[in-house]
Amino acid sequence: MFSAIHQVNEEIASLVKQARLSLVIIGDGHGSCGGGTVWHPDGLVVTNSHVVRSKRCEVTLPDGRILTARLLARDEKQDLAALVVDIEGLDAIELGESASLEPGQFVLALGHPRGLKGVATAGIYMGTEENRLRVLFTENLLAVNLPLRPGNSGGPLIDSEGRMIGINTAMTGHNTGLAIPVNVAKVFLKKALGSC
Amino acid sequence: MSVLTDLSSDLAAVVESVGKVVVRVEGRRRLAASGTVWSADGLVVTASHVVENEENIRVGFPGDDSADAALVGRDPTTDLALLRVSGKPDNAPEWTGVDTLQAGHLALALGRPGRNIRASLGIISALGEEWRTRAGGKVDRYIQADVPAYPGFSGGPLVDAAGTITGLNTSGLLRGSLITIPASTVKQVVGELLARGRILRGYLGVGLQPARLPSEIAKQLSQETGLLVISVESGSPADKAGLVLGDTIVAIGDSVIRRWDDLLYTLAKDLIGIDVVVKIVRAGQLKELTATVGEHP
Repeated sequence: MFSAIHQVNEEIASLVKQARLSLVIIGDGHGSCGGGTVWHPDGLVVTNSHVVRSKRCEVTLPDGRILTARLLARDEKQDLAALVVDIEGLDAIELGESASLEPGQFVLALGHPRGLKGVATAGIYMGTEENRLRVLFTENLLAVNLPLRPGNSGGPLIDSEGRMIGINTAMTGHNTGLAIPVNVAKVFLKKALGSC
Repeated sequence: MSVLTDLSSDLAAVVESVGKVVVRVEGRRRLAASGTVWSADGLVVTASHVVENEENIRVGFPGDDSADAALVGRDPTTDLALLRVSGKPDNAPEWTGVDTLQAGHLALALGRPGRNIRASLGIISALGEEWRTRAGGKVDRYIQADVPAYPGFSGGPLVDAAGTITGLNTSGLLRGSLITIPASTVKQVVGELLARGRILRGYLGVGLQPARLPSEIAKQLSQETGLLVISVESGSPADKAGLVLGDTIVAIGDSVIRRWDDLLYTLAKDLIGIDVVVKIVRAGQLKELTATVGEHP
């Protein structure tokens, strides 16, 4: 009787399991500050600028290994940062396309809210935030209908097929938050990689 | 395709389709709110509390179109307002009852406080019988969904998984949390507003404030409070009935009057022109007067 719900549960669980392989913890050596997402297997991690408090920080991989990361680039206005860790063979997240998102679509956010590791919250994409709230400089942020808390920042926002469509960035209410569109991060990283 | 992806596309399709009839209502100085097209002849329903201006109201449609809107009328007791825009819109949604709705069903709240449509998802968390708002309005069904109330969502529709509009959302009736006025109540209020531009209400012509009853009377009536008469308009139904300052109204007809909303609810339109027995406490004694309910100006 509850087969549809059961199947949805299984699918969500498997999406979470897969996405967690690309979710790292970013800390400053004294505690965790937020999340990050493995963008490329060769050690490239994307996160929010506000998560990276110093030029050298610690990245904890999903398997527990702690590595020192180097800050490759940051853009405080867009609240984005790129880190590099000296390792290969990481599980990079599959990238999606934020331009084709439609309000109502299912989304999942992963991160470490209040220090709890690898937490997933589910909801829908509400629509574009026209920056009425003036939270960030970037126009057209993704408004999501799911709870985000401190520690969620830098983690991936994924769609129903596990593709990254945004970077969780701010909470705007109990059950609503904002994410930076993955397409903005793509442009940012292209610039960052071009300059090194 | 996975069930989750199917579900996700279905939700997005509902938002896209119903989103066409969700408009932006600019009727107050701060943040704009939402409205929902009622009929193809340009009627839009919204929440009364988001229409602070009586004039210079603008309605924004999907895309960049917008038009001036006139306020046809409002009913603060159910927090509904009816607007008329000229020329637009050409497609009207189907407003249906809540008969097929069950607690646990998926529900979407839609809004357009900005340029774009916004959606919020939850489930129907409570479905009850008729209830009364604090302002004395009568609402056919109690529908509450656990969708997050986002600023500017008042006046937008609550939509089920099939894309049917089940009612209008407002945060103006339950201290900021979102509640849905069912389509049947919206229909009734729209009908009255179209006919008269306002909601007919019964009228006595008294100023009142809640007051505690003397303990003897309270025991006798099993009622702790009533409404103390603090002013009587001369020539009003109350004046003609002989109500004076210091009387405390405890019942009208069969309805017990404990609080302000009891009176508002009791003085509904069907009592207009009818003789009612007003039960009062005067000088510590119960007394009955007869008043002919007037029409609220």
